[in-house]
Amino acid sequence: MNSLMRKCFFGILLGYGIMLCGLFYWHLFADLGEHPANPRYYLVFSQPRGSFLDRNGFVLAASEVMEDGTRARKYTIPSLSHVIGYFHSRYGITGLEKTYHSGLMGGQTVWTTIDLGIQRLVEEAFAGYTGAVIVIKPSTGEVLALLSSPYLDGNQLDKKWTTYREDVRSPFLNRVTQGLYPPGSAVKPIVYGTALIEDVARAEQLWVDKGVVQLVDREIANYGALPLGTLTTEEALAQSSNVVFAQLAAALGTRLLSAYDRCGLGRALPFDLPNRGGYLPDQAYSDYGYAQLGIGQGELLVTPLQMGVLVAAIANRGTMMAPYLIRELRGGFRLRQITRPRSLGQVLPERTAVLVRDAMVLAVQNGTAQTANITGVSVAAKTGTAQNPHGQDHAWFIGFAPSIDPQLAIAVVVEQGGVGGTTAAPIGGTILKGALDILNRQER
Amino acid sequence: MKLRYGNWLGIGLWLACAMLWLWQFHDLSCWWQPLVVWAGFGLLAIITKRLGYDHSGLIVVCFLVSIGWLFLYRLSPSWAHDQFQGLLFGYAAYLLGLFGNWGHSEFKYTFGAAAVCLLLCTLLFGVRIGGAKAWLAVGSFRFQPVEFARVLLVLFLARYLADNQELLRVRSEWPIMRYWGPLLFLLSGVFLLLAVQRDLGPVLLVFFVYCTLSLLVVFSWRLLFLYMGAAVGGFMGAFVLFPHFRSRVSAWLVPWEYVDTAGYQVLQGLFALDAGSLFGKGLGYGMPQVIPEVHTDYVFAIIGEELGLLGTIGILLAYLCLTFWGMQNAASAEDGAAQYVGLGIVLLGTLQVFLVIGGILRILPFTGMTLPFISYGSSSLVAHMWMIGILAGLRGSKNELPYA
Repeated sequence: MNSLMRKCFFGILLGYGIMLCGLFYWHLFADLGEHPANPRYYLVFSQPRGSFLDRNGFVLAASEVMEDGTRARKYTIPSLSHVIGYFHSRYGITGLEKTYHSGLMGGQTVWTTIDLGIQRLVEEAFAGYTGAVIVIKPSTGEVLALLSSPYLDGNQLDKKWTTYREDVRSPFLNRVTQGLYPPGSAVKPIVYGTALIEDVARAEQLWVDKGVVQLVDREIANYGALPLGTLTTEEALAQSSNVVFAQLAAALGTRLLSAYDRCGLGRALPFDLPNRGGYLPDQAYSDYGYAQLGIGQGELLVTPLQMGVLVAAIANRGTMMAPYLIRELRGGFRLRQITRPRSLGQVLPERTAVLVRDAMVLAVQNGTAQTANITGVSVAAKTGTAQNPHGQDHAWFIGFAPSIDPQLAIAVVVEQGGVGGTTAAPIGGTILKGALDILNRQER
Repeated sequence: MKLRYGNWLGIGLWLACAMLWLWQFHDLSCWWQPLVVWAGFGLLAIITKRLGYDHSGLIVVCFLVSIGWLFLYRLSPSWAHDQFQGLLFGYAAYLLGLFGNWGHSEFKYTFGAAAVCLLLCTLLFGVRIGGAKAWLAVGSFRFQPVEFARVLLVLFLARYLADNQELLRVRSEWPIMRYWGPLLFLLSGVFLLLAVQRDLGPVLLVFFVYCTLSLLVVFSWRLLFLYMGAAVGGFMGAFVLFPHFRSRVSAWLVPWEYVDTAGYQVLQGLFALDAGSLFGKGLGYGMPQVIPEVHTDYVFAIIGEELGLLGTIGILLAYLCLTFWGMQNAASAEDGAAQYVGLGIVLLGTLQVFLVIGGILRILPFTGMTLPFISYGSSSLVAHMWMIGILAGLRGSKNELPYA
């Protein structure tokens, strides 16, 4: 009997073991807090919640008490939906609303680096296009404006949710951090800088551009195969000569890839929003392959965020600053939390960065980026026209202004926008001009 | 055996702290109730010890009953009040179990007949409260006979199997109906009665206890397969016959497809456990109002939400201690029949714990029974106190003890 009872007891012990496993699973590992049928999840939507403010203290998002006593989240400007995200009882919590959820519920206020005026300006300038814009303060890495178009309106999710879901241009995608594009000629400033560092070419060295160059057994041509004649390396950047840059890239070989890697291509950046690293191949198999990478084609893929941080680094004399969106967390029970600007390292030597800047200034004065010219201000910029296997070319514009002591750096990509100089550069110029006006007004 | 003053003092202190904590939600006009609960159990322990029985199980039961009372008080003081009144009967039932010498009583057919009578009475004169016609009313006094009937049934089963084990072990191709007949006849009659009342939880319990005990008495693979066949057949039959059983099964397998109907309770229970996480939200800070029947069926889920994994593990460990204690007592009983009785009672209680907790954890389909000693329900509390009394009376009990 006792041995039988022992068997029985082991059976019962097994039962307790199973119950214990069940307890561990449901208490600790089953993540049901945001299940749509969980009433606890909706509790937060009726409770007070902290606000998002822009860098000057203007409200970007706040909870408002409605007439029926419930609360609703109101967003000042819809184009920030990819940054702040949305907070909705049916559609969930995304973006910074999600990242800082517990702090916000504890009454904290999130001060962002966004400048509401500049964001508005970007929204207006980019209206109607599909693509991405990011405006960065080069000396600190603060993101002043971030736009991915099309975007959602966090105030109208109830009304427009189906429209958003069915939109083939996927308004849910944050193109700044998640969109992958070939950079096209916008990557040439790095090639130029690397060629100078590695002494493959000098700025004033003369080249003869016949419009086409033969590499191994294949040809690389300028845009429209236009011969640009005799020109210096600096002018080759300003005129965006594929012929010259293909030769530079072929001569640099793997050194070009390590320079790209140093500049952060192929790797995700430390940032407040999840972002993709794009793609940087480990090696190319021929001079032609390197030449393709040197003009921003081939397998190379980047995010607009990476290009924005990169051009900000050129503007900041080669020091790359970590981009950030949150200036400060304040209030609630926690201690005040302030973000300090943080360097990601010197990606170009200071002297080289200055030479690259001069070439980019030349591009605006007398090159492909002339449409971004602002009267009275010296702008440094580079355009790009990235071949798109799925349709029309993507138009790129990266730049900063003023070229001496830059206040703003910008990266613009217009999906299927055609030529960078015709589509992206005017948008970039408009934004730079307006944003500089806004900053000057604020200073006064 | 010592009286374990430290344990009793610990439970008392803990109870006092919990009461002070509850002060923020309710007034403490019922402060004397937990005191009586605690003192009552202490008194029972002293009596049990004086009589030479094993009292240590009472510590665990006191802990469980206190937790149950606290949570009922936290949910609604009136429920705690009902439970307290039930507990007073429970003390009496414990003493009845202790002195009744149930492990040796020769009245096995009386027990069986009493169980059938109780169930028949329920069927004929039952009062419908909250959907199920499961109550018997005598004046203003109401109780659920099935809680007692199944203990009586287990007593009958254990005695029958123990007394006739030589006959039942006679080898033959099929069970010999002369020996097995009365047992199977009574069981099937009871199951039919319960099935008519759509009370399938007790059927499952008694069936399982019967299978285990009879396999302990006489093990054969043929018998085992027969029982498994009967279980599968019963499941199929219930699935075809009872719509509420079908909805319980689907709520178990795919609750999220019946979020607003059958799966609602299961899901809300799981959400509560999930919200509890490791330490819980704190007594009184959960959301019991969203769980239907939280005081009877789902009190464990709200404990999980408010006391967290640590609390639920504590309760599980308490039940484990009780099971272990019961089995020790059963094993120490001096004659085989008493051992079977003890084992049957332990299995009955433990399986109910498994069915309830397993049902809430979605390991088993939910059967809608009470969690012993914790859930709201005086009948259940009294019956379980009785069971504890029976178990306590087994150790060191001899046939010449009083009332033999």
